Amino acid sequence: MEAWLEFGRGPLFRISFTLMVLGSLRIIILQIIGMIEAYNRSADKIVPWGDLWKKTFSWLIPIFNIWRKRPVYSVISVLFHIGLILVPLFLAAHVLLWKNSVGFGWFHISQSLADYLTLLVIITAPLLFLMRVLNKNSRFISRTQDFVIPLLLVIPFITGYICVNSSISATGYQVMMFFHVYVGNLIMIMVPFTKIAHCVLMPFSQFVTGVGWKFPKGAGDKIIATLGYGNKPTWFDNPRIGIVTEAETSQEQEDKK
Amino acid sequence: MELKITEEGLKKALKSARKPEVTAKQKLPVRYHVEDFKVEGRTRAFLEAFAAILKHSNYKFVLDHYIRISAKCSRCTTNCQIYEVTGDEHDIPCYRSELLLSIYRRHFTVAGQMSGRLFGDPGLTDEHLQELAASVWNCTACRRCVNECPMGIDHGLVTHLARYVLSEIGIAPRALVVSTREQLIGDSGNTSAIPVPALLDTLEFLEEDMEEEKGVKIKFPINVEGAEYLFVPAVSDFLMEAETLMGNAAVMTATGGSWTIGTGYFDGINYGLFYSDHVLEKAVQKILAEAERLKVKKIMIGECGHASRSAKYFYPAFCGGKDALPIINCMEYAYDMLKAGKLKLDPNVIKERVTYHDPCNIARPGWIVQQPRELIRAFCKDFVEMTPNGRQGVCCGGGGGTVSIDEIMPYRMEIGGKYKAKQIVDTGAHYVIAPCANCKKQIREIIDYHKLDAELVGLHDLIYKAIIFD
Ligand code: SF4
Repeated sequence: MEAWLEFGRGPLFRISFTLMVLGSLRIIILQIIGMIEAYNRSADKIVPWGDLWKKTFSWLIPIFNIWRKRPVYSVISVLFHIGLILVPLFLAAHVLLWKNSVGFGWFHISQSLADYLTLLVIITAPLLFLMRVLNKNSRFISRTQDFVIPLLLVIPFITGYICVNSSISATGYQVMMFFHVYVGNLIMIMVPFTKIAHCVLMPFSQFVTGVGWKFPKGAGDKIIATLGYGNKPTWFDNPRIGIVTEAETSQEQEDKK
Repeated sequence: MELKITEEGLKKALKSARKPEVTAKQKLPVRYHVEDFKVEGRTRAFLEAFAAILKHSNYKFVLDHYIRISAKCSRCTTNCQIYEVTGDEHDIPCYRSELLLSIYRRHFTVAGQMSGRLFGDPGLTDEHLQELAASVWNCTACRRCVNECPMGIDHGLVTHLARYVLSEIGIAPRALVVSTREQLIGDSGNTSAIPVPALLDTLEFLEEDMEEEKGVKIKFPINVEGAEYLFVPAVSDFLMEAETLMGNAAVMTATGGSWTIGTGYFDGINYGLFYSDHVLEKAVQKILAEAERLKVKKIMIGECGHASRSAKYFYPAFCGGKDALPIINCMEYAYDMLKAGKLKLDPNVIKERVTYHDPCNIARPGWIVQQPRELIRAFCKDFVEMTPNGRQGVCCGGGGGTVSIDEIMPYRMEIGGKYKAKQIVDTGAHYVIAPCANCKKQIREIIDYHKLDAELVGLHDLIYKAIIFD
């Protein structure tokens, strides 16, 4: 067991950490390149930067936005995210781990604050899950990962909390630590490939939408050429759009009467 | 007024005006008429069209972003006037977008293609295509849901793209396609098929009317080369909104503005904004051609939300980038003149209570929100706001081109426009001001259908009543 833990905290951690960082960098860079390409392709360079920055920050720090709609769910969600972001990054033990394995660290939060934040996550994550399951809209639009991820995310928090705050047997401790470390690694690997990616992509969202509405000139002509419609776009009679159906014209005449 | 729809209302709303034979022949359970198109092999054709569009336009990076970031929080449910009335999960904005995003994920991403092969997923099915074709035309592309998406996903943009891809395989509301055809290759060159002599007759007639009513000579200057503004209203205004046009002319005359209407092209309507970037581009370029012919300095769009947006936000892209002529809306002009003290309005003419409806296309980006309100406050004593309003304003239910599809009128009344009807009742206003050709038609129908005690007007209609000539 000890060896497994060592592996999980040592080499495996380095691998997952690298995968997370490289994977995230990859999607961020692709995103930025895509955005720049699109911007360059369109002749329209008027982007409402101020408005987009404002929107971006209003959602990154959503103190004003969350009360408007679904306030209970939104507040719980925000609390969940606060704990979720702060604890893994700024827990003293984690900072030490970074330092030992990747060679650098940063400031850390006090153990008691970390404990409160951990409890916050442990309480809010199941609530979010329940709200997703019980609300018929949320349930309807959810994919498997939407149900699984909150439950998966909470495992390292529960196990971590138990390890730090309870006097369990040595084996118990090791089992807890095992789950803590391995699920933690799994989550890191999942970051770039699942919806967790929103933690790195969200700052770009408003800009993506803003630039997305900038259309390149001449694209329409190229598209019909590629499709082999030549100079016959949709507003000509052609195999795609033929003559008006008999049935419908007579139907309309009836309607008019 | 109850927002939630009744069973009976739902039945009325969802009744299709199409003949069952046609629906069966086209294998398309939608409510709007569609011209004949090639039915067999259409899923393939759809994917080919999608691929071509992704290749040549700017959508790819947007979709890449949206499929990764969507968190399915379902906050958008609280901001869609369609969903709020029907309560049907299929009308959740995020669900609607997912219909297209899932096709993108399955067919145009490596992960999707691989897992598709691995799990034997057949990919895009005809049923899925049918659902998409019905769903994207239930949405009014009002983009109100964007305001509540923490992830910044623009469901209006996704709907727009889905409609574009569908139109490339021939699935688009016939009403829009026929008008566009007339506009781009027809003899009249405009969506309402108004010939130039008829236009001139109408304007002359209006000039006589105005002289009689106001005792001042008010002109519609035709083909004036070198004028400051080329005036381009929604062409339907010439048929249906005479009062608005007279208001426009009165404002220009009273303020000594230099403007002109070009007989070469006088149609601001651009259905391309609703279903095809190709049409969008060609129609906007028709304005460019006319502006160049008459050597005007700026372009002024009449009271119309989508005409204003399609010009303001797409003219630079398609007509010269940085050097493109400035585009303004006629309300901006009137507002500037009011501030400059050149436009004078009599505060004792309009005594009834008025309220203002924000057309989505000009209010959502925060472009025209304050100007009309200041104009109204300048001469209407009893002005009440709808809630919510401005950038958060609710769609009239006829957005995204749906107002021009006559056969879906019951849907627009029972579902799309229900929220607006409730808002109007709640204000208790007599005049509902809606400065947009589409909103005007829709709200007029709402007032009629729901038997509301209100009158629909344009902002310039009221200005015309209250304007003072020195
Ligand atoms: S764009 Fe408007 S109608 Fe369409 S889903 Fe969003 S809120 Fe609903």
